[in-house]
Amino acid sequence: MNKNNLWSLRLGYTSKQASVIAKIGIEKFLQLSFTSKFDSPLPSFLNDDPKTIAELREYRQTFKNANTDEQKKFLKLQIKKGVELKSWWIDKIKNEEFPLREKMVCFWHNHFVSTIQKVKSNYWIYQHNQLLRENAFGNFKELTKKIVKTNAMVRYLDNVDNKKGKINENLSRELLELFTIGIGNYTEDDIKNGAKALAGLGLGENQAQYRPFFEDNDEITYLGKTGNFKVDDLIDIIFDQPEIPFLITKKILKWFIYDTPSQELVTYYGNYFKKQNFEIQPLMMKIFMEEFPKNNAGSKIKDPLVYILQLSIELQIPSISNTMIGFFTKQQGMDLLNQPNVKGWDGGNSWLSSQIYLQRNNVSDLLCSGRNINRKAFNQIPDEEEDQPKISLEKINVTIDFDSNGTNKKIISELCERLVFNVDELMQKDMETILKYDFDPKSENANQAVLRLFNFITKTPEYQLI
Amino acid sequence: MNRRNFLSLTGTFTGGLLVLPEFLHAFGSQQNLIIGEQCVVFIQLNGGNDGLNTFIPYENPLYYDLRPKIALRKETVISASNGMAFHPALKSFATMQQNGDLSVVQNVGYPEPVRSHFRSQEIWQTASDSSQYINEGWLGRYLDLQCKDHQPTAGINIDAIDNLALKGNEPNFITVKDPNRFKVRTENEENIQLSTNPQLDFVRKIANSVTEGSDEIQKALAKSKATISYPKSGLSKNLEWISRLIKGNLNSKVYYTSLGGFDTHDNQLAIHNNKLTELNDAVFSFYQDLKQAQQLQNVTLVVFSEFGRRVKDNGNGTDHGTAAPMFIIGGNNKGKIIGNNPNLSNLDNGDLKHEIDFRSVYASLLQNKLNFDYRKIGLNNTILEGLF
Repeated sequence: MNKNNLWSLRLGYTSKQASVIAKIGIEKFLQLSFTSKFDSPLPSFLNDDPKTIAELREYRQTFKNANTDEQKKFLKLQIKKGVELKSWWIDKIKNEEFPLREKMVCFWHNHFVSTIQKVKSNYWIYQHNQLLRENAFGNFKELTKKIVKTNAMVRYLDNVDNKKGKINENLSRELLELFTIGIGNYTEDDIKNGAKALAGLGLGENQAQYRPFFEDNDEITYLGKTGNFKVDDLIDIIFDQPEIPFLITKKILKWFIYDTPSQELVTYYGNYFKKQNFEIQPLMMKIFMEEFPKNNAGSKIKDPLVYILQLSIELQIPSISNTMIGFFTKQQGMDLLNQPNVKGWDGGNSWLSSQIYLQRNNVSDLLCSGRNINRKAFNQIPDEEEDQPKISLEKINVTIDFDSNGTNKKIISELCERLVFNVDELMQKDMETILKYDFDPKSENANQAVLRLFNFITKTPEYQLI
Repeated sequence: MNRRNFLSLTGTFTGGLLVLPEFLHAFGSQQNLIIGEQCVVFIQLNGGNDGLNTFIPYENPLYYDLRPKIALRKETVISASNGMAFHPALKSFATMQQNGDLSVVQNVGYPEPVRSHFRSQEIWQTASDSSQYINEGWLGRYLDLQCKDHQPTAGINIDAIDNLALKGNEPNFITVKDPNRFKVRTENEENIQLSTNPQLDFVRKIANSVTEGSDEIQKALAKSKATISYPKSGLSKNLEWISRLIKGNLNSKVYYTSLGGFDTHDNQLAIHNNKLTELNDAVFSFYQDLKQAQQLQNVTLVVFSEFGRRVKDNGNGTDHGTAAPMFIIGGNNKGKIIGNNPNLSNLDNGDLKHEIDFRSVYASLLQNKLNFDYRKIGLNNTILEGLF
């Protein structure tokens, strides 16, 4: 596989940026990605959503006083807006000139998990998502402080129920276990004491705030330090721990390059990350610059989002709706804004099970034969009817780029350069059976034959890896 | 791939004589040496099920003292005996117990308990020590030794994602979201070429199980019918499929499925009641279904969770805890309550101290139901007596 195609997929979702990388080089491409602009007006579908605490109370009251039918309508509207929010994000992911920022938003989104289902406020989830966008390449320590103080997070990890004399450990535990230093580097007492320091940090107007009545101002000992601590103090102490750079460094390596990064690499880049005072941008610059020249293609299973976006770009289908993309990734175990639990998607091998593989193949079959994917294609009984996209049976035009002056072998190698990291003898033989030596690239149905070849390639194990 | 009923074999030996997996090949050609192959069905309750509000020490005053907001009142608990009673949602569990088909194993856990969901599930799924890390699941290791070559349907996991418990060196299990839609649709890739890339090998093996397993599943489904109507819930649907696969003689040794939503940090009474109702109704339909098909003696259902919850409530919920009861249904178990009632006055950091190691329950399942020497997969615990 051509390096520019590989890294276009790794730093984004498709091969769309391959030609840019080829032209300006990886370093310049990264610099432009880091400084890419993003817009931040509130999406219009959230205009009427309750935002302040007062508005929220009013909304709840209205809901409570409504009759059952009206309540159902309220809930339906909420779900619909959640789907719109997802589509709004997928649109950004698809259309950014430099998709690295959105790839990083998705990374943080899977690190600081906070789901629509639990938080039950599309506006707060939007705020959370936007914060990740603003800080995508920022400082890990600062971002942790900001995230823990979002309304979404205090609601998601039950800190709204964490009050003096009635301690709830959830946020305190995940702050250490999943967000920062990881299991094995703290004690149960640290969890308990951290929870005390977090007690009373509940919902606020624009972000979470302490409610004096519920605060616990006891002196505590946290990771060996004793004093009166609040949320920012906890995070300062956590970031003084020697283990702090490694968990996140490993996750970044896993997100972009290796399903199983070596311990040496984690230590090497982690130490650098610490020296850079937890600034994300220099860390990413170093990782990508040093990993680019290496021969490391095929070390990561594609996530469902890359799978479907790459497919739609290769087949030049503009008409797959964002809702459908969101629905597909959900079916594949990657429901955006709704991870199954606080740990987020595991990634790696867990992206593929036998049935998920089968479903990928089905979707590729459908698209390659010019049928748009629809709800039926997934063979799935709707579990929540509201968030199902409309059934569409439209016939679509699909076409694939290939050199119409080439021979069969030339076209095969052109496609493979773009799509798969490795071709063995058997696969080569199969491909030459599909596109035979006497293939005429100028014939009327040449496109169909190349499509069959493409379809075959997408179903190989090799294609599942980047 | 030579498909055999390796499973019909294990039942023919008494005393774990199956030392070498190679033997399987020779004997495996004779099908169905005995009737009634045993299998074990696991239901994993994800999130940490609150054992104390499931099987309740309703006569212990400490229970009410420590849980002012969420204790279940004496008048509401059911099937009381010897100081313990079921949550009101578990009325069919009580029925199965009265029929002598349900055993409760009390205070199950492990030393140095971990209160992280992910790690504790890992420990349960790999049967490791609290400080030990194993990449293969305990059932995966068992299947590795039981299957010569690999058997894609030796274990069936009905879930959205693969399950670590079944993961071995060979893909001897498949994960199915919904078996009915599992259609055969692939060219025959006979031989898996091993490469130097472990990720590629992994994907290749999955690609192959898609072909192999689906065939067998379709056959089993074609042979069996839905005979009783199950409630409408995810777990019910999964158990209904498992029952159809068992009745269709798929001959898998291990079935695995899960039910989420037990992480009740808040609003516990309502959530827990819903979840236990779903569990109760699904399990009871499955039980009746198998009983009617005269299969209950061959099928052992195991219900467990990665940990129990803190003895003292946190208001309207409970935080992560440690030991909890396990439930064993069917498979000719003795229908007893095993172990002491939970001791609420001798706690470890606010949590119950475990009295029975979950691995001794595993050992008993392997030894008594699957006729397998549990020591071969590295279990060193003594077997739990009195279960079968």
